[in-house]
Amino acid sequence: MNEELDSQLSAMFDDELPEDQCQLLARRLSRDDALKARWRRYAVIGAAVRAGRADGQPTVRLETNLASRVSAVLSTEPALTGVPAAETRKTAGMRWWHPVVGGAIAAGVAAMSVLWIRGDAPVGVGAQLADNAAASVAVSGLRAEVAADTSAPDSFVVPTNVQRNRIVPTAELANYVVAHSEYSAPAFRRNLISALIASNEGTAGVVDESDDANVVESPAENVEEEK
Amino acid sequence: MLKKRNSSALAWGFVALMMSAVAAAADDPREWLERMNNALTTRNYDGTFAYWQGDKVEMLRIIHRVKNGQVSERLVSLDGSGREFIRTGDELACYFPDQRTVRIEKRPANSPLLGNFPRFDQASTAFYDIKQVGRVKLYRRDTRVISVTPKDSFRYGYKLWIDEGTGMPLRTQLCDARGRPIEQLVVAEDRVLRINADIPDSAFLPEVSTEGFRVLRPDTGAGAMVADARSWDRWDAAQLPPGFRITLRAFQTMPGASGPVRHIVTSDGVASVSVFIEVQQMARGSGAAGSPEGASGSTTAQNSPAPAGQEGVTQFGSTSAFSTVVEGRKVTALGEVPPETVRAIANAFRSLGQQQPAPTAGPRTAPPSGLSLQSQPRR
Repeated sequence: MNEELDSQLSAMFDDELPEDQCQLLARRLSRDDALKARWRRYAVIGAAVRAGRADGQPTVRLETNLASRVSAVLSTEPALTGVPAAETRKTAGMRWWHPVVGGAIAAGVAAMSVLWIRGDAPVGVGAQLADNAAASVAVSGLRAEVAADTSAPDSFVVPTNVQRNRIVPTAELANYVVAHSEYSAPAFRRNLISALIASNEGTAGVVDESDDANVVESPAENVEEEK
Repeated sequence: MLKKRNSSALAWGFVALMMSAVAAAADDPREWLERMNNALTTRNYDGTFAYWQGDKVEMLRIIHRVKNGQVSERLVSLDGSGREFIRTGDELACYFPDQRTVRIEKRPANSPLLGNFPRFDQASTAFYDIKQVGRVKLYRRDTRVISVTPKDSFRYGYKLWIDEGTGMPLRTQLCDARGRPIEQLVVAEDRVLRINADIPDSAFLPEVSTEGFRVLRPDTGAGAMVADARSWDRWDAAQLPPGFRITLRAFQTMPGASGPVRHIVTSDGVASVSVFIEVQQMARGSGAAGSPEGASGSTTAQNSPAPAGQEGVTQFGSTSAFSTVVEGRKVTALGEVPPETVRAIANAFRSLGQQQPAPTAGPRTAPPSGLSLQSQPRR
């Protein structure tokens, strides 16, 4: 996705995109899978962020580098320490979600949801429909929830020093993960399998050993049998 | 009359005691964790979840069903890769459309799927501080927020938002020792989470067409040959990180592996680390590698120096893995713990020498007596 398009999408979330461009973007969204995926991520990030901030600091504006901006702002938030519901109520609904509730963006979002489903309808296979339904529900749900559910959870704190290097689960490592998952606690097991499924090719890296530490990098099928 | 009054008082006292015990149990964070485990393993559910790791978000659909005692589950990526993980009964299938590969594993019928999960028992409290830290609403549902905070850096912590009504975790956060989230899995929208739903068999069919995919299954033929050729040696851990102990020993057959892989599970009661020991496949020509005698015949408990490039830590998500070579065997420790923990655990294992004659059948048959799926008594 080019930067301009990404920027437009962010602007749409910020209610800073003119309505005519909103309409154009909504139409494009109906046929652009990458853009749809990006929108879905925005919706999810928004769902996690909209719980609001308790410190009353200025709100975040979503721009091109959405994730890092969100991370940077959220990383200043206090960790959860049993925030009472009443307290979270006060801060629920960040400013940048307010435009989603009313104003021009609402029309844009509504149009987009319709177009989105319409555009995908011919594809129509089960998970894709579920996917679209989930995404469109999430989009429309955001508006409803900001108004109705003001007792949202605390926000997600993205650590600044998380090790970003990940490895592609090779055949061998994937086997190990699957075998190991049988013995993890159920909740953590879901995370484990999710990580396996969500791992991105092309982000391979070894954490703290030399670059040629490829003990888990070799596909098992290339291994010679023991003689 | 006095006797009757005393009995009545005693009865009321007993009721009050029971009620306070019940109330205490309801507020016991470990009780909530057990309820959550129970819900996750016994309930039917179908929902869309967001998996976060760093600045990455991936939407997943997770379906779980227990029908006639058989567990079926499916995790499918709704973004990008289209990867899927499907379990139906004793078969696990991982679909990697991006690699045009399907990996299929068979689990034994008596797989301890529902019986060997870590339990949040009293021993866990020696290494974790388990607390209820709040009651908040998540998607308009009342949830208990339970934190599991490690007392040292050998393990990660967790925060769980557990739905009071169903016991389902609506949000699971894995945190580092300082309480900073590393990854989380959160219900994307409650309206697309169906709990106790009637889920049809068709929900467990892969979305992707596997035409032209490479299908990898455990190679029983190769495994049988290796099993015939070598002795079964015993392995044990010299010194595990505090709190970790061996909870299970088993053998695994794995697609692409040249023989059955020894699988030892260690746990501190919350986190689990698996140790896989197999014939070293990478270091051909490095002495004992690949040699049954060289690999298992030694009774000395010394670590062979790992050849260059044969040792290392890798990570994805919260999972760390560390591989090394010990006496000609590749030893890999993997689990949802910090890298230093898998390193310490892998390096703790040593061969104790031969135990029994080699089995004459392939890996699909029962492993040597006394080594297969043995649960260790809990301390």
